[in-house]
Amino acid sequence: MKRLLLLLACLITVLSNAMAQREVTGRVTDSRDGSALAGASVKIKGKNTGTATGPDGRFRIQAATGETLVFSSIGFTDKEVAAANSVIDVVLDFADLPLLKEVVITGYTVQSRREATASIGKVSGSEVKFQPIASFDQLLQGKTPGVLIQSQSGQPGAAASNITIRGKGSVLASTQPLFIVDGIQVTGADFQSINPADIETYNVLKDAVATAQYGSRGANGVIVVTTQRGANGKTKINYDFQYGIGKLPENKLRLMTSAEKINFETNYDHPYGMNFYGWTPEEADSLSQVNANWEEIMFRKANTQQHVLSATGGNDKTKFFISGSVFDQEGTVVATALRRYTGRINIDHTTNNLKIGLSTFVGSSKLTNTNENDQFIGSPLNAIRWANPYVTAYLPDGSFNELDLILQGQPNALKELLLNPSVNNQLKGIAAANLEYKIPFVKGLSVRTNWGVDYTNDDNTRYIDKTTYLGSQQVGTQGSFSHASTKRVRYTGTTSLSYGRQSGNHNYRLSVFNEYVDRRTTTFGYTGFGLIGLFGNGSDITPGTPSNGYIPTVGDGYTEQSLLSWFAIGDYSYKNKYFVNATVRRDGSSRLAEGNKWVNYGGIGAGWLLSAEDFLQNSKVISELKLKASYGSAGNENVGNSYEARELFGGTTYDGKGGLVLTNFEKPNLSWEVRKTANIGVDFGLLKDKITGSIDVYSATTKGLYLNRQLSGTNGVNSILTNLGKLRNNGIEIAINADIIKTKNFNWQLGFNHTFNKSEVLALDGTNENISGLGINRVGEKLNSIYLVRYAGVDPANGDALYYMADGKTTTNVYDPNDKVIVGTFDPPHFGAFNTLVNYKGIELSAQLTYIFGNKIYNNDRQNVENPAYVISNVSADLLHEWQNPGDITDIPSPFNDFQPGTTRFLEDGKFLRLRNIMLSYQVPANALSKAKINGIRFFVQGQNLYTWSKFKGYDPEVASGSLGGSQYPLLKTITFGVSLGL
Amino acid sequence: MKKTIIKYGLAIALVLPGLMSCKKAIDLKPTNNVDGSNFFTKIDDYELSLTGTYSRLLQDSYYGNGNSGSGPFVGLPDMMSDNLFESSESLANYQSFSRWNYVADDPFVQDIWEDGYRVIQQANITLRGIDNLAATNPGAVNRIKAQALALRAMAHFDLLRSFAEDFDRNSAAKGIAYTDKFDIEQKPARLTVKETYDKIEADFKTAKTLMQAMDESIEGTGTGGGERSYIDEMVVNGLLARMYLYANSLDSAVKYSTLCINARPLTTRANFPNIWLDATTSEVIWSVKFQSLNAGIGDLMFYAVGNRASYRPTTNLLNLYDQVNDVRYTSYYRNLLRGANRNTTPARIVLIKYDAKQANLSKPDGIVNFKALRTGEMYLIRAEAYARLGGVNEALGLADLNTLRAARITGYVNQVLTGAPLLQAIADERRKELAGEGHRFFDLKRTTRTINRTTNCSNFCTLLPDAREWAMPIPQSEILANTNAQQNNGY
Repeated sequence: MKRLLLLLACLITVLSNAMAQREVTGRVTDSRDGSALAGASVKIKGKNTGTATGPDGRFRIQAATGETLVFSSIGFTDKEVAAANSVIDVVLDFADLPLLKEVVITGYTVQSRREATASIGKVSGSEVKFQPIASFDQLLQGKTPGVLIQSQSGQPGAAASNITIRGKGSVLASTQPLFIVDGIQVTGADFQSINPADIETYNVLKDAVATAQYGSRGANGVIVVTTQRGANGKTKINYDFQYGIGKLPENKLRLMTSAEKINFETNYDHPYGMNFYGWTPEEADSLSQVNANWEEIMFRKANTQQHVLSATGGNDKTKFFISGSVFDQEGTVVATALRRYTGRINIDHTTNNLKIGLSTFVGSSKLTNTNENDQFIGSPLNAIRWANPYVTAYLPDGSFNELDLILQGQPNALKELLLNPSVNNQLKGIAAANLEYKIPFVKGLSVRTNWGVDYTNDDNTRYIDKTTYLGSQQVGTQGSFSHASTKRVRYTGTTSLSYGRQSGNHNYRLSVFNEYVDRRTTTFGYTGFGLIGLFGNGSDITPGTPSNGYIPTVGDGYTEQSLLSWFAIGDYSYKNKYFVNATVRRDGSSRLAEGNKWVNYGGIGAGWLLSAEDFLQNSKVISELKLKASYGSAGNENVGNSYEARELFGGTTYDGKGGLVLTNFEKPNLSWEVRKTANIGVDFGLLKDKITGSIDVYSATTKGLYLNRQLSGTNGVNSILTNLGKLRNNGIEIAINADIIKTKNFNWQLGFNHTFNKSEVLALDGTNENISGLGINRVGEKLNSIYLVRYAGVDPANGDALYYMADGKTTTNVYDPNDKVIVGTFDPPHFGAFNTLVNYKGIELSAQLTYIFGNKIYNNDRQNVENPAYVISNVSADLLHEWQNPGDITDIPSPFNDFQPGTTRFLEDGKFLRLRNIMLSYQVPANALSKAKINGIRFFVQGQNLYTWSKFKGYDPEVASGSLGGSQYPLLKTITFGVSLGL
Repeated sequence: MKKTIIKYGLAIALVLPGLMSCKKAIDLKPTNNVDGSNFFTKIDDYELSLTGTYSRLLQDSYYGNGNSGSGPFVGLPDMMSDNLFESSESLANYQSFSRWNYVADDPFVQDIWEDGYRVIQQANITLRGIDNLAATNPGAVNRIKAQALALRAMAHFDLLRSFAEDFDRNSAAKGIAYTDKFDIEQKPARLTVKETYDKIEADFKTAKTLMQAMDESIEGTGTGGGERSYIDEMVVNGLLARMYLYANSLDSAVKYSTLCINARPLTTRANFPNIWLDATTSEVIWSVKFQSLNAGIGDLMFYAVGNRASYRPTTNLLNLYDQVNDVRYTSYYRNLLRGANRNTTPARIVLIKYDAKQANLSKPDGIVNFKALRTGEMYLIRAEAYARLGGVNEALGLADLNTLRAARITGYVNQVLTGAPLLQAIADERRKELAGEGHRFFDLKRTTRTINRTTNCSNFCTLLPDAREWAMPIPQSEILANTNAQQNNGY
């Protein structure tokens, strides 16, 4: 605190008095689209004084009448204007070289690429907004290097399963980035209610000079999203419509047909005996004819449609952007769907020294979903693997066929799905208001405050019909109805004082911030039992009595956590060629123990624009060249609960009485993981920026890595969360874009980006390795290495599975965990994308291919259908050639051999290449529309995930965790048609 | 000037909301949990922790078994022996136990280890600092301490049954670590079997002493109380009798089983079926309370709501009974149809002990109390102890066996047996009386150390005396974390 006051005092002493000259104000805009030009230089001709435009393109300068103002900006032709009026608006003509002009937004600051020393990926909203996906995080896949986005679910509204920026920096904590929308932290999990079409830009902060600004929340990178703002000019109205059809991708894991399965049951020997269901020859014969296709029973071709209407406009003082949308998606799984309505109003108002901005967003969605990615027999989607193929969904009389429930205890999945709807109604509000005041008597000093809230209310209902399998498992066995509400409110309040000046060749800005983030989660819910089955809702609940046993349960919870921060961000440039950015931040958290609450972060970056130097200024080859380097730290607080540092006791019951049990150990020394990143990069443009690109090399070391320090189980638990380890991610990112052909009517662009990330565990909890499930973290090896016994095929003599011993040469038929070795990694070290765009007059064809290689996937889904214990269910067609007699040469062991799932038998290569998006569009020529008073009209057709090159035995090789569980809802193949109309 | 003040004011007004008080803003306390650092100041706090200790008995890898535990002291010892076999209704998750191929990194073995020690952990928390209240509430402190000590001793004994290599009272073989305080950093070494028994016995004995000076009787056991849900002195006597039988301390086994038999005589055949419907507590010494909303019990033997019998009684077991006249046969087993409504052929014989309480028989939910100690077991403990003592005691053992059979079997005629045939008859009677209650594997472990599955066993029929599997492996996680831990022989 004292330090801040001192800083303020310093600031005040350096303030100089403004000279008594007339003030000229105005705005500098881009000739192409009228957008604001930030960072443009405004100078008085013949003098050494000048200023630069703000992020909104506005400037303010003292000039005497008769003087001339010179406006310049990299990539634009200079312009001179006499300072005759007090308001001067200038339009600068674009002269190519867009790269350095591009504005990058860190959330707290706005910079041009020229000034930025950080590694920041930027994706414009318009680039991705037409993709038929509800959750915007999925859209960024392949768009910028260093960012690995894996989507595993085709369920409507599903968020990306995994977003990793520059490799996973943590073992136990979340590795998902922080999301900031209009300055407000929002929860990544509920993007289903946000409309991607509202988004103007996505800025991905990757290195520490940028992420240090976010302190305890920045270690995994930050995705800063800005929404569209109004523009000065005539009101423009835009309407987008699209309609699409989605379907399941091709399955590459073939299961048995009815004839094969019946043959397998009746003619092959099993531990349960030959013909364990006791089919008579007549039954076997008729069942062989059935062939129920559970994939077709559960999945369908599904429609999606979307309408977005937006209006933007304004004048000098007030600007607005408003939009509304409807998104209506059927799930490919029967009975699943998402319907979403959104509305947004963004208003900006400027008067003299005061600027007010308001962003308000409301989204409401209704999602009907089903369980996925589990191995519960009651999860309907497991039927596509496990239902016996000779069991149909319905009996001839129209009732549900329960034969599989009797045979193998697997309920009729269609019945479970249709009768037990699970509905999520989400109401989401994001609102932020900011106020910026330029203190008039101190030039360059301004104060800004931004307060906002991210509000989410999830209202979940689950009706479990009493006639279903799940219904029989409820208390009282007669179904249940649950209704739960979770309300999450997160306030973010940021207040800052900034002082910026240009004097001579020096240009600097220093801002000090105070920020408070407070998150409150309130949960409430009940479950009632004994459904009478009349209403399909809570009215079916039978009130509980001691005799009927239908005692409802209620739950109630509340947690709160907060983060209080002080930080400063400074930028300095010399001659507009040499740049320094720096950040220091101090975060105090409610979640850490007393005495340990405060953690410090910082970052510094430097940049050198070589192409502005004399020796390169006239180069024919190099049009832009910038070197940059940065180093800094950011934290990861995404671990544990809101009160993780305290010893906690939670409620329990015995004999109807309330009691308490230990639920959380005291951790007085817990702190946040700190990720220190060093980054060296080069941004370049060649041949008048026909070829542009960037190369970044980074090394990120996580210190205080959270690990579960192993404890003796005699204490009733095996581990405790502790900051112990050390992990490093080294990597290189390359992005290249080229205008292969660029003419008035014909353009062809080609883009490519690739990321290589190599992780290495540097230290653990004092031990050399930490084994968990199929994975291992071992010092000196990659993070999340796979640790399995190697499968060596089948002994033809006796049908035993063979395994390699630790030496890798000797084979044995005894499975021994001591023979496990590292056989690969779950985390893809290589990934990237190709983009291309061909444009002839108004016709445009674009395509994006994404790829991953170097990783492995454990196919647990296949393991379940090759396990001889599960011959009661449907199984892989490969089991038809399981070992039967001595001498058989096969790779499927005898069913009498002990089945061991934890071997490389079920490990597969994770590489794939996917045609993620291809789009053909036609922009109707403007002259054809002018009579109809239409600004523009564009028709398009696009395909999403149309083809994937992969050998993975399943539906889709994009498996975020590296282990494919059961009940899959795979990513869809979608074709969409759309029109975009501007008025 | 005035204008300037307004401007200053505005600037300050903008900055002020940000200047939050540091201390208060980040000092947030849990509202729906208890913070242990400022709790445990009064008797009521310890009462809650004691109730919590009892609730830990319902864990999946103790007496409960819902989705993720083996029920190691309810059904597992039967699944691992010749009493039950794995049927095609099984989801095959517990084959490593029933086929005896468990290894040190088996997650279910780790669960047994940790769930057992988690009962002990909560018992130790209940004992932590309670003596500070002894001056003001001596009776209440004694009552709480006695139960916590007994729970701690019992859980250690159960872990000893699973993980020790030998059961003899004075054995120098590896027993288990005895945890008598809550300290997550401790890394105790395994005691010998003898040392483990010493500690268990001492805790039980202390509990008995404390029970002589309580402020009130333990809930449900005093005047008018008949639920038998908590550990009182009679339960401690029963647990001691069981421990002494394992330890081969036969005189003590006789002494403590006799105390229970006298306090809780056998019931009538007519009333016997009610025990399994929780409609009576006759013969029941300790009934661990399972209620709706708790995890299920015995689900691997019979999951009532799914009508799934993953492990079914072997022909070999069923053939031991006089299926017509033995009330146990009809109380324990049912030829049940398949399908959700139990109305689809084919039928199969399932162990029905864990079907439902009487009130829920029309909609069985698989939730019944676990009759952790019954008079039937006490008779069999005493019969076996007498028979092993030999000489004049043999006749007393035979008398106990005949008494128990007469209580169960209509028209039973007393038999005359001595020596090995008597011991064999008692062992068979234990199978018949205690099927599905968590005894058989341990009984074989402490007697013949041989399993011969004669029916329903495919290619896993025999476990020989020298097999390592008689003791479960100490979990790999324990070996890694605790430098003092020692693995069992053969793993």
